[in-house]
Amino acid sequence: MMRKAAAWLRRRAENVAAAMVAVMFFAFVVQIVFRYFFNFPVGWTSELSVVMWLWLVLWGASFVVKEREEIRFDLLSESAGRRTRIAMGFVAATSLLVLYGASLPATYKYVTFMKVESSSYLKIRMDWLFSIYLVFVVAILARYLWILWRLLRGGEPDQAEATQASSAL
Amino acid sequence: MNLASPFSLALGTIVALSLLGLPVGHAMIAGSVLYLWLAGLDMGTAAEQLLNGMYTSYLLLAIPLFILAAEFMNSGPIMDRLLRFCNALVGRWRGGLAQVNVVQSIIFASMSGSALADAAASGRLMQTLMTKDGRYTASFAAALTAVSSVIGPIIPPSIPLVLYSLVSDTSIGYLFLAGMVPGLLIGAVQMSLIAFLAKRRNFPVEPAVSLRELPGITWQAVPALMMPVILLGCLYSGITTPTEAAAAAAAYALLVSALLYRSVTWTGLYGSLLTSARTTISIGMLIAGALVFNYVITIENIPKALAAMMKAYELSPLAFLLFANLVLLALGCFLEGTTILLVIVPVLVPTAQALGIDPVHFGVVAVVNIMIGLVTPPYGLLLFMMTKIAGVPLKDLVREVMPFLGVMIGALALITFVPDLVLFLPRLLGYKG
Repeated sequence: MMRKAAAWLRRRAENVAAAMVAVMFFAFVVQIVFRYFFNFPVGWTSELSVVMWLWLVLWGASFVVKEREEIRFDLLSESAGRRTRIAMGFVAATSLLVLYGASLPATYKYVTFMKVESSSYLKIRMDWLFSIYLVFVVAILARYLWILWRLLRGGEPDQAEATQASSAL
Repeated sequence: MNLASPFSLALGTIVALSLLGLPVGHAMIAGSVLYLWLAGLDMGTAAEQLLNGMYTSYLLLAIPLFILAAEFMNSGPIMDRLLRFCNALVGRWRGGLAQVNVVQSIIFASMSGSALADAAASGRLMQTLMTKDGRYTASFAAALTAVSSVIGPIIPPSIPLVLYSLVSDTSIGYLFLAGMVPGLLIGAVQMSLIAFLAKRRNFPVEPAVSLRELPGITWQAVPALMMPVILLGCLYSGITTPTEAAAAAAAYALLVSALLYRSVTWTGLYGSLLTSARTTISIGMLIAGALVFNYVITIENIPKALAAMMKAYELSPLAFLLFANLVLLALGCFLEGTTILLVIVPVLVPTAQALGIDPVHFGVVAVVNIMIGLVTPPYGLLLFMMTKIAGVPLKDLVREVMPFLGVMIGALALITFVPDLVLFLPRLLGYKG
């Protein structure tokens, strides 16, 4: 049941990510057509697409890309034994939780402080635009708490698969 | 360097966390937060650097758009026509299908900016074609697809060159032009090696396509072959900005595949958008981490200190280029290339400039080098991908890759020590460097 719900949610998160790429692409097409064919430059399109880019990366890192799909260095963990691997995963997850957790209050302060500014064309308050970073930090904290909990119950860390990492090189 | 300084501890943490298996982007953000903490700075600075850096790097929007363009072009009907065109050109030579593999990579390189995307796009198809009736061994076919995919991001468009343009403040237009000759050179050395091996190993010849059929086959491939013309035309005529040129190329690819080749379905369209999203997210996280960590590197003045040190040694530009190449090649054996490009290369750029090395030349050398890193064992993403696609052991694949690695490093040396090879085209179109 839980697994099904999680898979459903992940697919919806993917829908959102794909839609963001579509909006970005569409905004560019509108921008080129307006300027080149109607000689009428518009500014909101580039702002919209840059917002999509920022949100796509942080939204996707929070909800779309699984840990084992991310670009990481795994020569060492792959050659280690099971117990060592669990210990390595434990140290990595704890360090991340401590450091991301420690930065959370100052991060919250920075993002909420940005309410004094608005974006140039769409006039969206910057604290709203940047709030995705808070979502990101909280989602990553939750993810690594879950990973830690699984490790403590004796589960192994996910094995990375090089061909799944979506490196853009 | 003081080992207990905030910077050393932060750097140590990033390396340690990456070795422990944490995604590299997270490791860089976490290490930088540690630096801010220990140095008594505002920890909100990490968020500030990341958000403002991402929000103002407009050029990076070209990355999802280039991936989208290649995805639209990567469909069965288009690939078939391109392969038939390549076969008509070089199939009649000894080792013809092997030559087709390289020529196809060169053509696909002008539509796509990613080597892994190239290998994923044509890998399975080329593998089936080349191993049918035992014409080539599976490991040779897989090795060839891996090494020929390296050309993808050297010939424009190129995602690594976009990243270099970001970290070095160099014009993306000139970088793209500069990649052209080196990309073709890599293709040429690979084709020469195949011609040499073809005689010794008695590779098969494909049935020659008659001259009468050639115009028809070419005509069918023309719409796909026009894509680089659209992209570079938009870029150099000044009609669009570089990012818009990427969007125009994607729009053209979508139109061609939908209207001319009729190969677009809603499911396929959604799949293309999602692939583009996923790749953008993964690389975006590395960029995010690098933005935060590069801020730390800058306040610590590392690049300038290195430049001063190298100058004090009175290193000649050639010696420095050789040194940079060796460092990058060695790192490429173990590290993922994007990380090298976003973290190590920016540290080297100021030294290169202080020694009078042209930044466009240096960028192309670094990118060619990092691309070669994709096929160097033990850690080479293209090798991993091809062992999976072709189902051959890594050991056999590496043995077949080695001779190609040799000629490609030869080509890299030529590109490194003869800057005119790289800078000739950009200068022709107005580059003052």
